[in-house]
Amino acid sequence: MLKRKKEQTVNEFNQVVVGNSLTKEAWKRLKKNRMAVFGMIVVIIYAIISFSASLLPIYPYDESVIDHQHLRPSLTKTSGELMLEQQYKNLYFKAWRAGRLVLTPEEDEMIEALILKNETNKVWDYLYSKGEAQREAGTFEFNSSEQKTIDKYVDKINTEIQITINTLYYMKDGKKLNLNKVDYDTLLALYCGEVKMDREVVETALTKEITSQVTNTVKANLGEDATQDDINSAVALEMENMSRKDFESKACESIIGKLETSAKRTIEKKLKEQIAESSVEFPYKGMYDVNDHISANINASLKHMRRYFLGTDYLGRDLLSRIIYGGQVSIAIGLIGTITSVIIGILVGAVAGYKGGKLDYYLMRFVDIMYGLPYMLLVIICMAIFGREIFNLFFALAMVSWLTIARMVRGQIMSLKNQEYVEAARSMGASTSHIILRHMVPNSLSVIIVYSTIRIPAFIMQESFLSFLGLGVQAPYASWGSLIGDGVTSMTLYPWKLICPSIAMIIFLFAMNFFGDGLRDAFDPQSKNQL
Amino acid sequence: MTKYIIKRLIGMIPTMLIIITLSFFIVRIAPGGPFDGERALPEVVKRNIEAKYHMNEPLWQQYGRYLFDVLRGDLGPSYKYKDHDVNSLIFNSIPNSIILGCIAMALALLFGVAFGIIAAVRQNTLLDYIPMGIAALGLSVPLFVVGPLIQYIFAMKLDWFPTSGWFTEGLGWKTIILPSIALSFAYYADIARLTRSSMLETLRSDYIRTAKAKGMRQSVIIFKHAMKGAMLPIVSYLGPAFAGIITGSIVVEQVFRVPGLGKFFVQSSFNRDYTLIVGVVIVYSAILIVMNFIVDVVYAQLDPRITYK
Repeated sequence: MLKRKKEQTVNEFNQVVVGNSLTKEAWKRLKKNRMAVFGMIVVIIYAIISFSASLLPIYPYDESVIDHQHLRPSLTKTSGELMLEQQYKNLYFKAWRAGRLVLTPEEDEMIEALILKNETNKVWDYLYSKGEAQREAGTFEFNSSEQKTIDKYVDKINTEIQITINTLYYMKDGKKLNLNKVDYDTLLALYCGEVKMDREVVETALTKEITSQVTNTVKANLGEDATQDDINSAVALEMENMSRKDFESKACESIIGKLETSAKRTIEKKLKEQIAESSVEFPYKGMYDVNDHISANINASLKHMRRYFLGTDYLGRDLLSRIIYGGQVSIAIGLIGTITSVIIGILVGAVAGYKGGKLDYYLMRFVDIMYGLPYMLLVIICMAIFGREIFNLFFALAMVSWLTIARMVRGQIMSLKNQEYVEAARSMGASTSHIILRHMVPNSLSVIIVYSTIRIPAFIMQESFLSFLGLGVQAPYASWGSLIGDGVTSMTLYPWKLICPSIAMIIFLFAMNFFGDGLRDAFDPQSKNQL
Repeated sequence: MTKYIIKRLIGMIPTMLIIITLSFFIVRIAPGGPFDGERALPEVVKRNIEAKYHMNEPLWQQYGRYLFDVLRGDLGPSYKYKDHDVNSLIFNSIPNSIILGCIAMALALLFGVAFGIIAAVRQNTLLDYIPMGIAALGLSVPLFVVGPLIQYIFAMKLDWFPTSGWFTEGLGWKTIILPSIALSFAYYADIARLTRSSMLETLRSDYIRTAKAKGMRQSVIIFKHAMKGAMLPIVSYLGPAFAGIITGSIVVEQVFRVPGLGKFFVQSSFNRDYTLIVGVVIVYSAILIVMNFIVDVVYAQLDPRITYK
């Protein structure tokens, strides 16, 4: 074996010259640009947070607590304390109205003026601080009915538990059975034993339940125009066609659901007793015995010990988790949308640039005309009319945003077309698609990458713009735009609903812009002085 | 030049035609019609209504009829606002939108150009950093964030301006200020950055050095010599800026409750008010195309190096 000696290039001073690839050079330049690196780090952090959202210790939507409506953001107070505070504010306000909380005439005047100006928050805060001070000084006391309300509330806050059942187990002959994994017959037998009913009775009830489920789906599918006869015959057909296996799996689901509900009730009762004895610590995680033969793997926590760092919305959902999940949607749409539009743009631009002639002329005229259209208006129409689904949104946006990239790629390809290596490839019999995809596109990739990073924030802005108008992402999903849109409607009373998502979005777009600018400067240093 | 203008004018026709066709068919191929409400209408009533608006004809016939009407300048009756036709709805609301857009554009140009020049002349001083920092903010903060935030800060917290409304509703001239500032913010940012960079480039060029060497005053150099050359990129930016202001005004009119065209647009697309949607799109597009045309002509006038064929 002959080892080829690596030849080194030397310049006229006998110094070794090492070649550097374009990307390496660009990376070196990017590292020098402090703002761009900072932007890149922020973008990466955002991406990590939003795509690991389901692993983060935030409260998911399905565990939201309806009592926690519109709690203000607080770093130190738990939701229970905030709820109590709200209750106090309410009571102080009523006491002031009833004339039991006595303030100086000037203060009364000031509060009246605030009420006229609709400054509810200020009124409440002021009365709260005054009331607390007076209660401490002993000049004000709650009367017995008010005290009763407060005691009830405190009790509720201290004892309400949120329970999630992960799996149910059944102890049979010293063996532990996972109820999610047993077959229908065993489950049915167990359930009959549990509720002490005959097998036939239970089965009839299950059949009835499943029939009503099927009826609901059939009704939804047929629409409002369907007559009762239509529905009945469709349901009968569905039930007939349903295989035994489908029926059994549906029946299992419903049995487990019933068992879980009753188990939850029992666990809650038991846990409350334990709280009274203070023999349990929260959050509780692990096995819990429901009765002597059923046990459950549960997560239990006190409902009102939660902390909402960014407050909650009108359904008691944690705003922090909404922003994170919203960011997931926004960033995903930005990324996938950009990729789609870039791919379309590359295809059109490359074909037009390489083929030239008539095809090029017509494609570019088409692009010109599309440029002249008020495309955002067309996107709005599409969204309003074809239904507000994420897929439509994406399609509409991607359809109109490939124009610039097509023009850019076309220019790039035209300048590359007459290079020697392309001619060499052609003379060796390479096909057109091979030349375009393997030689030309990779050589114009730096331009494409730079343009894509600049496109992503623009895409996110457009998506959020539509969501803001109520035409984009729909509940239960959220995006930054729809969160801001929600916040706007109630910003007098709950300003954090507007401010928090706005700040989250601004930081991301800021970082993304700096990163994109830095990337452009790194790949094309001459562009630095231009916009 | 005349030839170029004529060519451009002729070129507008297919673009307008495409816009009309596209929006006409998009709204009609979609499921659901303007008369599908919460409650289903009796069959006879529905048929009568459809006959009244010629909706029982084949689609191509409807299209031909509509095209003919548009050529005569009639945008048809509104399906949802009874007893109003689209023309009157649009022409009642469009002055408000035009006032808002023009003031926003003027603000953006005034402040953008002024701060851009100052930043270029006093490069790397506070007078450069502060306006350019604000401009960087304007690039990253979308309009639907700026609008509500300044509404919250200046109208609700500081109580300097009315929260929403419009001066034609008898609420005073102060109502114009916040919406137009919100709308102009993003364009201020772009114009200031463009002005600064092109001004910097111009100030480095040879003819400015010659002027300096001849002992001219700096104000004369900047305003008489450098300005004209440095303004070219701004002029070409005005085309996209107008497009942006039109879409932007939809949000601003929503947030500040301005009775303009943008509010109608969103409402009518929810209502499936076909004629109104297409009418608004036609008007918007016409404005946009005319503006682009004017910008191009002005650009050619300003820059003698450009020869249009």
